[in-house]
Formats: sequence, C-alpha cells, structure tokens
Amino acid sequence: MKNSFDEKILEEANDWVKSNQKVVIATVIQTWGSSPRQVGSRMIVNEKGDFSGSVSGGCVESAVVRECLGLIKENKPCKKIEFKVSNESAWEVGLACGGEIAVYLEQVN
Amino acid sequence: MKIKILQEIIKKKASKTEFAIVTNLKNGDSEIFEKGKKLSKNIESYKDHIESFFKSKKNGVIENTDIFVETYIRPINVIIVGAVHIAQYLVDFAKSLNFEISIIDPRGYFATEERFPDLKIINKWPEEAFKDLETNENTALIALTHDPKIDDPAIQHALKNKFYYIGALGSKKTHENRCKRLKDAGFNEMEINSIYGPIGIKLGGRSAPEIALSIISQLVAETYKK
Repeated sequence: MKNSFDEKILEEANDWVKSNQKVVIATVIQTWGSSPRQVGSRMIVNEKGDFSGSVSGGCVESAVVRECLGLIKENKPCKKIEFKVSNESAWEVGLACGGEIAVYLEQVN
Repeated sequence: MKIKILQEIIKKKASKTEFAIVTNLKNGDSEIFEKGKKLSKNIESYKDHIESFFKSKKNGVIENTDIFVETYIRPINVIIVGAVHIAQYLVDFAKSLNFEISIIDPRGYFATEERFPDLKIINKWPEEAFKDLETNENTALIALTHDPKIDDPAIQHALKNKFYYIGALGSKKTHENRCKRLKDAGFNEMEINSIYGPIGIKLGGRSAPEIALSIISQLVAETYKK
C-alpha cells in the first residue's frame, strides 16, 4: 500500500549526484519472516558515509553504510548482501525482529 | 544504476504513469517497464511475471531468476461524501497510504479549505460532483453524512459503477432503512449486501479518530482482496 510516487529518495539520489557526490542506492529486494521495511524500501549513501532513507528499523543501516563505502572504494557496480537473525556475537548487524532481508547495492554511474 | 535510467525513473514518477523498474541483479542493469509498450529482448520473457506483480501490488524477485521488479502503482481514488470530523482523520490516515482522496459535500460550511487544506473538495450535490470525477471498479466510496439526501445518490452511483468498496456510516437501523430505499430504487440483494454498513471493522471505539481508523482498516483489507 505504499505510495511509491510520493517517496523522494531517488530524487534525492539524483540531487546528490548532481552535486558531484558518489552515490550508492541500497534497496530491500527480498524479505523472509518478519521484517520492518517492505521490499522496495531504499536508502542512499554517499562516499562520506552520509545516508538518507532506511532498509530496516535501524538494525542494519550501519552495516549497509559500511558495505556501500566498500563498493565505492572498490568502484564496483553492484552487490547483494543478506542479513539474518541477530545473535549475541553479531548483535550489531542482526535483525532483532528475527527476520531476514536481502539488500541490493548499486552505484549510480 | 545508470544516471540516465535514474533520471528517466524520476521523470516517469513525476508524470504519475504506472511503470516498473526491472533490474538484473547479476549485472545491475535496469530498465523501465510500461504496460502496453514494446519490451526489450532482456525482459520480454518476464512480461507475465511483471504484470502479476502489478496485480498483487507488490515488489520482488521473480522466482528462480535474478530479476528484481519494483512497481509504481497509481494511488486508488477514494471518494468521501461528507466533509465531517471523521473525514478529517481519514484524510490524515490516507496520506501515508496509497489513497487519493476527494471529498464531496454540498454543505458549504462543512467543506471549507481551512478544514481540509491541500485537498480537492467538491462543493456540489453528488449527482453533479460525479460528473467531474472519473470513477470505475478501482474507486472506493465512503459515505459519512448519514443523510439520505446526500449519501443515497452517491451510493447509487457507486453501485452502478461497480466501486470495489462502498461503506456507509450509520447505525444498524439507519442502514436497514437505507437498504430498503435502495431496494425500492431497484437495486438487487447482492448489490445491497455489498455495501459495508455500518461501516468499518469492529474496534470498539467511538471517537472520530477511532471510527476513521476502523474505516481505513476495512478499506485497506478490501483493497488487498480486490
């Protein structure tokens, strides 16, 4: 039921690119079990690590930023990453909801 | 994603035409899918899958492929009859959902711009108002005046044009009387039974925001069923 027309994240990505920033778009492409953001949710990250939007309820955003920075550094076009249920040893990048999500990163070029 | 595609997507969004972004996850190539337009060789064979995403109003990866589909679906038109207090809350809820609301109310003192900023308010009787509105089986009607003079013509229009959701505010007794009037007007039992009256799911609340929540919940549920 989301109104994709009203979401402005891609417009923001375009603005960032226009101001000469390197931009990676991260999109939730699959979810299993319960997950806070639905498929199609997005965040964007620039080369400084600034970000906008979200792909989870705050659980994996920091890891996504790190991965995006890696993509820019290695100058790769795209990458798929998966996040699973949190456990004690990896609480920082786990999903407290017990769900799993796959996030697709793509550099705007 | 190529900057050219990104800008093309933004243009499509601005024109509010329905489309989908189809991305090959292996190489990151994206292209725009539009219903009725000729497809490129790369996505030709996925046409049926892409259309089924539109039907279910969802995004996702086509099974056993590396093709991701993100649909942009036009908001659903919801017509509210009666610019009453409940309507103000309905408008608030609808903002974050994929609904586009128009309000009809011939009573000028209700349908003021101050009460409903940034909204299309049609200050006419329903018969007149519907002449300017495009309605079909993808339209929903929420009748809130519980005044037969205003609600009934709107409900009749909605039944004739096969709206997928028709809800009418009022007690069981009010609704019984409404059903009788519709029967006298020539509507059959099936048509009359398709009306949600009393409107909304059972929440238990009686305040205006609670009634609005119960209505919008029912509308969302019916929208997914359609």
